[in-house]
Amino acid sequence: MLGEILNPYYLQVAAFIMINIILAISIYITLSSGQLSLGSAGFMGIGAYTSALLTIHFELPIIVGILAGAVVAGIIGILIGIPALRLQGVYLAIATLGFGEVVRIIFVNWESVTRGSIGLSGIPHMGRELLRFFKDIGFDPDMIGLKNNQFIYLLVLLILVLINIILIWFFTRQNKSRIGRAFAAIKMDEKAAEAMGLNITYYKVLSFAQGAVLAGFAGALYAHVLAYISPADFAYHRAIEILIFSVFGGSEVILGAVFGATFLTLLPEALRFISEYRYMIYGAILVLMMAFRPQGIIDASVLNWFKKNLKSKRGTNHGTRINKNN
Amino acid sequence: MRRVIKKSYLVITALMLVLLAACGEGSGSGSADSKGSSDGPVSAKIGVISYLTGPGAAYGEAITNGFNLALEEVNEKGDVNIELVVEDSAGKQEQALTVSQKLMSDDEIVAILGPTLSTEMNVVAPEADINGISILGTSTTAAGIPQIGDYVFRNSIPESLAIPAALEKAVAAYDVKKVAILYGNDDLFTQSGFDTMKKVAEDMNLEIVTIETFQKGQSDYNAQLTKIKDLQPDLILASALYNEGAVIMGQARKMGIDTPFLGGNGFNSPKVIEIAGEAADGLIVATPWFAEKENSKVQAFVEKYKAKYGMAPDQFAAQAYDALYIYAEALKNAGEADRDAFRDSLAEIKGLEGILGEFSFDKDGDVIMDPTVLIIKDGKFQIFE
Repeated sequence: MLGEILNPYYLQVAAFIMINIILAISIYITLSSGQLSLGSAGFMGIGAYTSALLTIHFELPIIVGILAGAVVAGIIGILIGIPALRLQGVYLAIATLGFGEVVRIIFVNWESVTRGSIGLSGIPHMGRELLRFFKDIGFDPDMIGLKNNQFIYLLVLLILVLINIILIWFFTRQNKSRIGRAFAAIKMDEKAAEAMGLNITYYKVLSFAQGAVLAGFAGALYAHVLAYISPADFAYHRAIEILIFSVFGGSEVILGAVFGATFLTLLPEALRFISEYRYMIYGAILVLMMAFRPQGIIDASVLNWFKKNLKSKRGTNHGTRINKNN
Repeated sequence: MRRVIKKSYLVITALMLVLLAACGEGSGSGSADSKGSSDGPVSAKIGVISYLTGPGAAYGEAITNGFNLALEEVNEKGDVNIELVVEDSAGKQEQALTVSQKLMSDDEIVAILGPTLSTEMNVVAPEADINGISILGTSTTAAGIPQIGDYVFRNSIPESLAIPAALEKAVAAYDVKKVAILYGNDDLFTQSGFDTMKKVAEDMNLEIVTIETFQKGQSDYNAQLTKIKDLQPDLILASALYNEGAVIMGQARKMGIDTPFLGGNGFNSPKVIEIAGEAADGLIVATPWFAEKENSKVQAFVEKYKAKYGMAPDQFAAQAYDALYIYAEALKNAGEADRDAFRDSLAEIKGLEGILGEFSFDKDGDVIMDPTVLIIKDGKFQIFE
């Protein structure tokens, strides 16, 4: 029964949705302090290559590789962030876009380590390693009626879902905290925030570095889900795609990023039945979206509307509304 | 705050439910009717992963056209009855992987053709191998692909076969001692071509006077060409795609370099002549595909293709056309629409006559075939003697 329902195709799409959500959150975090950074593809690449190289050459466990990838991306994020965050708006966008390209060119040219544009293959696959582990301890997916690849992708998806829940929980908490308020203040008005005594350099670098860590983390996951990476994966197209996830869904709230990544990853798959035209529709939706709803699908007022409606449906207020209507 | 967490749970759960519900529909529908009965033709579904949207869509289109043309003929013949399920990968690894999962999880699909790019193949092939479904690349020429697993094949001539053939003939014809190499280092295809060129040149004891690089989309190659001109090589090995390659040749000839060029598979396109004009004279390439070959099969293919799609077929269309014939033959020999039986009979294909020539697989699933060496002379591809 379970075996029939779990189609690896849907599990795979869902896994990519989860990775894209992490990427969308990474750009949401930098946007939440008013920084437009397009370096996420570069950080993603750093995370992916770090983790892939560590696990291939030093045979470290995947989890160590992934964490190392996130940490290295974070450190580079801080190093880049301190000078780059003197820039604002489009200038920062261009500088970070440039950074992403530099990273890609390094991957292309540092052939002795990265194998240039041939890319790295034979990266340990998260699911396949886990399957081996489970088989070693005497558990076979057959026992619960699953095929090997169903089991692999189910595990990968569960792990990614868990990671996402933790991340979303963490960042919604952070938004309500001192740090989140500081980010919002800086986004509203940098000068005013500084005048109120906020150390804006610290907070800006913090939000930039958080974005870098998340992007590196997502990149490392990407490497271990695909088992092959090449520099072309981390070109500026990727940075733009990630930005669109967040802007489309709504860059003011974290759920916007989640929604944007989910919707825009599902869309091309859902539109498969019209084959060649699907990216035309994808483009058209983006254009319409920017024309009619530049703040993104989900913003604070949409959330409030939901909150209100959910509350009134719970039926705490008897009769009051009827009176009003009469 | 707690509400937000709850909501995010809700969103994720809802999402999972949608996905689960959606897959319930797909996998339920019949799977028993695909096995061909022993007396009629074997019928089977074959999955195709192709690059149909995005900047490289022209490749995917040519490939799918090739498949469709061959499909009509194969089904008309009546030995087998094949149905193609074509899916787009948009040239992205993620999409190629997800769509391959879609095809592999459909039990009716016996084997897969494609994907178009070597980068996509690197991601899809290990997955196909684990799931025990044959996959054959018609345009993936990078090194190491059929070696990924037992179920991975290709019918496109790898650079390691094409370049030595071309180089041997060129060395014999021009008495080459010194070569210069020029390659694009930010593309899997040209990089892999360069690795082969360097190795072959070293194996043949040629002196490599310089190695120069360029990037995709570059428009000025004077710096590299000036250096090459001073060193006076007897032959220039250029691992480039035709769009950059044609510009390089144009600038080289203007500069007064009249050394012949030797290119890889990506340099082999009639577009080179279109872009570079007279400057394209002296380009040597080894190719499986030569449209002017005096062979009735080749000519019939070219004519049919032109009539149906309104343009001349390129090597991608030709390789795809042959690939479908290879699959049809394997399916006929297997006698049933079973993935493992299909794989075994595919691996045994030997000496199959196609429009590219006589085709066999080696033990890895790689190509054994003699490429044709061509040279551009008087604005036309001709056989290089």
